[in-house]
Amino acid sequence: MHLFGIETEYGITREDLEVVDPVEESMELVRAHLTGDFERRWDYRGEDPHEDARGFRVSGLQQDKEEDDFAKIDAHRPFSFHEMKSDLVLPNGARFYNDHTHPEYSTPECRTLKDLLAHDRAGERIVQRAADRRNQHLGGPQVQLYKNNTDYHGHSYGCHDNYLVSRSLPFSQLVKGLLPFLVSRQLLAGTGKVGMEAQESGFVPGGYQLSQRADFMETELGVDTMHNRPILNTRDEPHADRTKYRRLHLILGDANMCEYATALKVGMTRLVLDFLQRGVLPKLELDQPVAAIKQLSRDPDLKATVRLKDGRALSGLEIQEEYWNVASRSCSSGDPDVDWVLREWQDSLSLLKQDRTKLVGKLDWVTKYWLLETFVREERLAWDDPWLTSLDLEYHNMSPDRGLFLGLEAEGKTWRMTTERDIVQALAAGPSDTRGGLRGLCVRRFPEQITTMQWERIQFSGGLRARTLEMGDLFHPDDVQACAVLFETAASPADALAAWSRRKES
Amino acid sequence: MRYILMPERREAPGDPMPKPPSPSEEGGGPRRPETGSPDKDNLLKRMRKVDPKQAERYRQRTGE
Repeated sequence: MHLFGIETEYGITREDLEVVDPVEESMELVRAHLTGDFERRWDYRGEDPHEDARGFRVSGLQQDKEEDDFAKIDAHRPFSFHEMKSDLVLPNGARFYNDHTHPEYSTPECRTLKDLLAHDRAGERIVQRAADRRNQHLGGPQVQLYKNNTDYHGHSYGCHDNYLVSRSLPFSQLVKGLLPFLVSRQLLAGTGKVGMEAQESGFVPGGYQLSQRADFMETELGVDTMHNRPILNTRDEPHADRTKYRRLHLILGDANMCEYATALKVGMTRLVLDFLQRGVLPKLELDQPVAAIKQLSRDPDLKATVRLKDGRALSGLEIQEEYWNVASRSCSSGDPDVDWVLREWQDSLSLLKQDRTKLVGKLDWVTKYWLLETFVREERLAWDDPWLTSLDLEYHNMSPDRGLFLGLEAEGKTWRMTTERDIVQALAAGPSDTRGGLRGLCVRRFPEQITTMQWERIQFSGGLRARTLEMGDLFHPDDVQACAVLFETAASPADALAAWSRRKES
Repeated sequence: MRYILMPERREAPGDPMPKPPSPSEEGGGPRRPETGSPDKDNLLKRMRKVDPKQAERYRQRTGE
């Protein structure tokens, strides 16, 4: 069963203020989506980041001292936790809220790459529309949003890609099979960064690297996401029937601007998960994955090699080629997404070796590098000039008038899988073949009867007993569509739930 | 607890969505980029407008 989604935390700033309060700005931005007052509805009981997929539960998550100090300040703010989060479920099944002082847009669950891209782009439009509204209120373009992952001062925020995985695949196999792939995935999915940094340890200008997040990876495995970040997050929070499923929650990725890079990132990962589920395991084991992810990121010439436990030394390209070889042998064709990923993955690896300029507009780190190299030549700058860091930041600006990537897209120099029609459709409704679409349908059809919502459950009011639509194992497209027909046509949620119950029993 | 007039009902659909101007508004599916050099009259002008000190001022809190 293939299901995936992307959560993106956006950077937010106010250009008219010396000191920006990110809690308030992020909250106000999310609320700018609404025309009325915020009303609490997200049910946090489904969230438990302390369960570890390695089979234990941690007592607490690590935060750095700076975060602890912020938490003390936040406790005295004149609004509640729920007001601060401002959690919204949108009519397209997405979630939009303030997460750790960043506006976060989580796409609804998607089954195809095209749907995922359309919903990722819809998220960009929704957050930017909220910024436009906020700026209208403020009297000028003061609020700026960035779809990136660093502030170049040692603070990172995430773009997480998520996959539904069968629990029958042992977690140890998942780790073994994924680590070398994830360490080298940045060759195709990195968004590029000028300079180097580390968690809370300042910024070293100069040089260019493939990934924004590699500098912030500090351990191979771990349940934490804000401190001591792992290459492979072990959070066991399936948002589904935990006897059958896991949610692979990857926090190492960059927030891609290029549709092609997003599609490759998620598509390649999906194929690797497919062959791991079939028991196929590439014979690759990195000696030091954390050192390797940084080493590969800091080598835009793609010549660096990393050591394997068996003594071999392979480049990032060679590791990716090995994964492609296994995928091409093990993953059945016929599925358009599989065919597309296999073809484009191979082409991209080949072009990275031969002529990477052909990947401009397709891979972010290549595109940004190309823009910056042009600028360095035109302006005769050194690579440690702070202007280049600012241009790096502006590549990710979500304002169509300022963003460098969006400017490039306007010139027709980027690859698109989506059309404007796809995006407009994704703004209005979720995918018709996933529970994300069903969630959106319920929001559109029965907004006044919904009392609480979370990823796997919608609770409706009415009658003496609360009525619940359980979606923890509602993944087969036929079942989703059958359920959607009932909610589309029933006079009330109670009628739809009764009919759904009868169908399941028959 | 009773909830009325849920917030999602009060989204403001009236405002136009920000839309990057695109040469291909509809249909067509995947498009290959035309890769030459960045358009000097447009993109480089946009790049030159960026304040060199912008990243120095940009501060965020740690997220996930």
